[in-house]
Amino acid sequence: MTEPVLKVENLSVDYEVGAGVFHAVSNVSFSLPPGRVVGIVGETGCGKSTLGQAIPRLLPEPPAHIRSGKIIFQGTDLVRVPRQKLPMVRGTSIGMIFQEPLNSLNPAFRVYDQIAESIQIRHWREIGDLPMFQPGPTPFDFSRRPVPTAGQVLSKPFLPGEQVQEAARHRLVTRDDYKREVLDYLRLVRINDPETILRLYPHELSGGMRQRIMIAMTLSQKPTLLIADEPTSALDVTIQAQVLTLMKELIEEVHASILFISHDLGVIAEMADDLGIMYAGALVEIGPIAEVFKAPRHPYTKALLRAIPAQYKTDGALPSIPGSVPNLSRLPSGCSFHPRCPLARPICRVNPPPGLPNLPHAAACHFSDEVATLP
Amino acid sequence: MAFTIILAAFVLITPHWIAHYGAQQETGVYNSPPTLFQWPPSFAHPFGTDGASYDIFSEVMLALPTDLGIGVAIAGFALIVGGGLGLVAGFYDRPGHLSGYTSAFIMRVTDVFLAFPSLVLALALVASIGKGTIQAMIAIMLTWWPYYVRLVRGEVIAVKHLPYVTAARAAGVRETKILTRHVLRNVLEPVIVYFTLDIGTVLVIFSTISFVGVGVPYPSSSPEWGSMMSFYQLYYPFQLYWWAITFPALAIFLTVLSYSLLGDGLRDVLDPRSRRALAESAAHEPPPEANVGEPPVLPLPPDRGPSPGMAADLGGT
Repeated sequence: MTEPVLKVENLSVDYEVGAGVFHAVSNVSFSLPPGRVVGIVGETGCGKSTLGQAIPRLLPEPPAHIRSGKIIFQGTDLVRVPRQKLPMVRGTSIGMIFQEPLNSLNPAFRVYDQIAESIQIRHWREIGDLPMFQPGPTPFDFSRRPVPTAGQVLSKPFLPGEQVQEAARHRLVTRDDYKREVLDYLRLVRINDPETILRLYPHELSGGMRQRIMIAMTLSQKPTLLIADEPTSALDVTIQAQVLTLMKELIEEVHASILFISHDLGVIAEMADDLGIMYAGALVEIGPIAEVFKAPRHPYTKALLRAIPAQYKTDGALPSIPGSVPNLSRLPSGCSFHPRCPLARPICRVNPPPGLPNLPHAAACHFSDEVATLP
Repeated sequence: MAFTIILAAFVLITPHWIAHYGAQQETGVYNSPPTLFQWPPSFAHPFGTDGASYDIFSEVMLALPTDLGIGVAIAGFALIVGGGLGLVAGFYDRPGHLSGYTSAFIMRVTDVFLAFPSLVLALALVASIGKGTIQAMIAIMLTWWPYYVRLVRGEVIAVKHLPYVTAARAAGVRETKILTRHVLRNVLEPVIVYFTLDIGTVLVIFSTISFVGVGVPYPSSSPEWGSMMSFYQLYYPFQLYWWAITFPALAIFLTVLSYSLLGDGLRDVLDPRSRRALAESAAHEPPPEANVGEPPVLPLPPDRGPSPGMAADLGGT
């Protein structure tokens, strides 16, 4: 078994605002092996976007607060990384595609400048002008550097020979090199006539174009882990299909590890290898997608799957789950799903369900074995 | 506006071309002997003359660079100092940390300054540090920057939570670069427009201070419209000598108006979404072919049927 790229352990994120404390993410644990796509599905307000933004520590931290847990990315706990060092993890190591393609590009810069900036960051990190995240057990020097001896300092040349060469090499990178690279990435995301698109401002592009440019920007940094936070929900169905096809091809070519967040089970079914279901801030079920679809072990998953519109169903109304997501600042006692659960029993009102067992396909329910056998 | 600035540059370089009778106080050479008689506007003296036969047109023209420069200098100082403080106060405001306290401190100092009417505060400052051009400029500079702190901070706070700032952060851009590149560029447009409009306001305030008599002294070798008006309204009553006070006042009015127009023009240039930017990008496209005589006939696309790619795109779910 290979070491997972990302391992989230008991992560809890709160929002502390005037109206109270909202437990947006509570006790979420999962791991993301290299080259796999993990999908996270849940209703609006279940904390899936918070989870996605908490992993590269992008949440604005006065309202948000990581209460406990670990985010282990390639052996480093990102929760313990000081804020000033976070930029070196973002971009080249953890890339992100956002939900709002309409606002995720800076309106004041042309498409070229935005993609070139991403490429420049990667380039500078590769040649060592900017610090790059080093995977490994101790990538960050949290302690003070050891004080060098006088002999070490005095015998050190001003620039080591290889560093002079490096400096000479990166001075040779010109605007044309950047432009060629930008054009390559625009072609990669299937943009017709990239030479023209380069000069345009974001407001002159359609939503699908902007989202593809966003994807090009993220991919141009060659991230190890890609977090796609509802990349297609703001797009209409045809554009959505194009973007999904594109991402699938990229997964096959680049073998990236992807955390794919969506509220659309159809989209997830097309993309993901593993599926996690979130409800009220907690991960209620996780497993390989085929098994979760075939034999869900949590009543919420079962209800969600039943609510997918079937193509040939003609009789009766579409089944839906009664009620709505509970208020995250006042979660119900016991299992947070019990007010909406058709199988709720007295124990569900009192005891919270056991945590996710360490199985490939696990669910947080008192009666998960029983749920799996139900039709 | 461009005309005004070119004129000011000309006056600066070659004052005697435009202001034929100018700087008479300085040289002591009079074109005509002082007659203690005031001429109404004539062909030789377009704005008339005052009691010492000084040509008012020359005086107004000589004051042009001074007034333009004073407006730009004061508003520019306020823009740089106030804008810089506003950027810092808006962007680095993490409560409970050093940045939060710095931001709060800047804003409280700003509030103290804003609590006084700036004209009154400037007058009080001039009264305490002494009369004169430089003193009046310093006094207005000291009272003028808080408005920019407020404006820039508000704009920064509005911009810094927008998704593209988060996206830049997610791409690994450092905080200082996010502020100086992504946030600053989006804040710049309203601030620059406000700045150009504000130059006019500063000019009015400065003229007011001169008019009250604590700014630029008059008569002087480098006159100023406010002090000219102050002098003329005292010695040449409007009912008898309407031209003496009208033309300096008209100069102030036209200058303020032209700065306002400049602000509007800059807004169009700076905003990429405005008409002018659109027209510029449209200019890159080839012009439509001119066929005036007959309407164009569009060729129908060949009937290809559904493309195989479309089925692959849509049939997935």
